[in-house]
Formats: sequence, C-alpha cells, structure tokens
Amino acid sequence: MALVRDGQARAFEIVFDRHAGPAFSLAYRMCGRRGLAEEVVQEAFLSLWRSGARYDRTRGSVRSWVLGVVHNRAIDALRRHVARDARDVPDEGIAERLPAAELTDAEAARREESRAVRGALSALPAEQRQVIELAYFGGFTHSQIAQMLGTPVGTVKGRMRLGLTKLRLSLGDPSRVAT
Amino acid sequence: MSPGDPRGERGDCGRDAGAYVLGCLDASELEDFRRHLAGCVVCRDEVAALRSVVELLPMTAPQLAVPRALRRRVLAEVRAARREGAPGRARRSRLGPRMPLARGALAGAAAIAAAAAIAIGLVAFLPGSGRARSVIARVAYPSASAVVRLQSGHAELIVRRMPAAPAGDIYEVWLKRGARPPAPTSALFGVTSAGAAAVDVPGDLGGVSEVLVTPERLGGSLRPTRAPVIIARLA
Repeated sequence: MALVRDGQARAFEIVFDRHAGPAFSLAYRMCGRRGLAEEVVQEAFLSLWRSGARYDRTRGSVRSWVLGVVHNRAIDALRRHVARDARDVPDEGIAERLPAAELTDAEAARREESRAVRGALSALPAEQRQVIELAYFGGFTHSQIAQMLGTPVGTVKGRMRLGLTKLRLSLGDPSRVAT
Repeated sequence: MSPGDPRGERGDCGRDAGAYVLGCLDASELEDFRRHLAGCVVCRDEVAALRSVVELLPMTAPQLAVPRALRRRVLAEVRAARREGAPGRARRSRLGPRMPLARGALAGAAAIAAAAAIAIGLVAFLPGSGRARSVIARVAYPSASAVVRLQSGHAELIVRRMPAAPAGDIYEVWLKRGARPPAPTSALFGVTSAGAAAVDVPGDLGGVSEVLVTPERLGGSLRPTRAPVIIARLA
C-alpha cells in the first residue's frame, strides 16, 4: 500500500487485481445491474487512487477498507438511480450469468470463504437476516425498514443487534476470516 | 457512560449498536450514539466486535469475476493520471508560475466564519490564461492555502501545506448551491507529505455558490459530518 501511496500504477494494479473481485461482487449484489455495478467499482477504485490511498493498517485489512469504499459508493449510486426493483435479484444463478473465466486458487479460496459466511448468514432466523440485508445491501435506514416491514423501530434495531451477535458467535473471531 | 446520558437509565445502552455498525441510524440518533460511545467503553467494545462481522457481509455476495473491460478502463485511467502526476500530488500547473495564495487562514474550522475579511471571493484573472480564473479559498489552518481554478466549466482545487486528514479520515469535496445543503462529489483526496494536492472537482458547476471541503471517514459521506476546512465562494 505504501507503493500505491507513492503513486505507483503497478502497485495499484496489484491492489485492484486482489480486491476488485469482491468489490464487483458486492456492487452487483447491491445494485443488481451490471452496468451500475461496474460504474460503482470504477468510481471507487479511481477515488482510492486519486485520494493517494490513505490506508491505515491499524483500522483493518485492505480488503475491508476497499469494500467499505465500494459499499458507500453503491449506496450513493442506489439513491441516485432508485434502482430498488432492478436489484431485487435472487442470489442463485448470478454467478452463472457472470462466470469467472478461470478459477484461480485465490478465486477458489474467495468463493469458499463466501460460502462459509453466507452459510452463517443463512442460518440466522429469517427476520434477523432480513433486516441485516435490507440495511447493508439495500442501504435503507432502520426507520425505512421498520416502515416496510410494519415492525416497531425498536424491534428492527434489536433484530439487527441480535443477528450480528449470532453471526459473530457462529463465525468465531471474524478477524481470522477476513484477510 | 457520561453523566446524564439517558441511555444508561433505560438499562440497555447498546441497543443501537447493531444499527450503528450497519450504518442505518437516522442522523439525530447517529449523533446521539456517537456521543454516547465517547463515554461508554462497553458499547465501544460491542461496536468493535460487531463491526468485524459487518466487514464480512460483502463476502456473502456470490463471488463474481471482474469484467475485463472494467479492469481495462480503471487501469487505463490510472496510467493516464500517473502520466500527469501521482495521486494526491499537486500536478504542475498549466498556468505557469504559482499565483500567490492567501495565507491568513485560521486555526480551526469554527474560526472560518471569523475570517470573513480574509480573501473572500478574491478572484484573480491569471495572466496569459484566457478566461481562466482562480478563487482563493478560506482555509481553517494557518499555514495552508487553497485555490479553486475555473476554466471552461471545469474546476480544480489546489491546496498547499494542508495538514493530513486525521487517521481514518479523508478530505471530501462538496458543492453548495445557495441555501441548499452541500451536495457530495466523488472527489475524495489526501495530501502529500508536503500538504499538496490537486483535485478535479467533478459534477455540474451550474448554480454552485461554494466549493467546500470537510474531513470525512474513509469512503466519504453523503452529507457533511464536520465543519468545512476549506470554503471557496464562487458566486
């Protein structure tokens, strides 16, 4: 990351190749449209480059940092494009529609990790999983979620907290999973 | 927990922790909870633990390959930018010698308002630059200076001797139109060790009365969460 900070394009290329996969996957999951997802990822990485890549290693992994930027950009894009209907796409089959050209070891490991985390999320009670997904992937506020579900705000907050706590317990120490 | 914090009196001060780490608290609740966090080590610990889980949520998305065209576009832009200058570094001005910048900025964001007499809307038409003009901005830091260069509907913010944003923060550029709240831009930037940066100001400048800069969390914000450290009045 120090090399990226010094403006080395090759170093940036390495960061891109390591993290663009999860970044694009997240953007696609949130936006539900390939074009918009590409726009989000492009904006995010270029902003990281333009920003001088002010990455602080004490605040987490590079991947978490990159995905945090992508997440914020995707929410911004969703609010601009109001694409809520378009991104209501079931998970199944997306990977087949945009398959990896070749499955490298790193990609295989990433998909394996994804399966593990997705499994933990799927194991949550539906009402807890639902509020977490609406907040994180949908970019909705808890008030909007409460209104959508016809559920008291306090209940929504409680489900979020309980669901995340259960996820943490089922995944053990997440810091050992995230790299 | 700080004295007088009503959360403790209700018996469960961390009830907003989940919504907080998911980034879905309303603005007023967000401020309340941030204030609470400053004085409650129990909630800080819970937030740290839950945040590590939230950082894994992106991995629940089906993992896809990166479209090759996207990779080509991003890397081509980076190489092109690299030819002009490293990120965060001030590119060499196409206007020739540096124009003198206002030095009389103030020691804190709050002090900006008190500096109204200093360089407000100073507009300098640069010699030999045609219709290019530069607006000297007010800056919250005494040693720093900033100027917005305008030409052909395009704006570039150039800063000098600007302190680095606090750890975990980044500078974000905003466009303000009249009395409306500042609109976020995609321009996030850091500064070199010398405090320099040259940043393209994206977006339509029509009706823009001020270009603002605030420090925000990495990744930027949709609305300013801190006081501006740079204010350039265009109109």
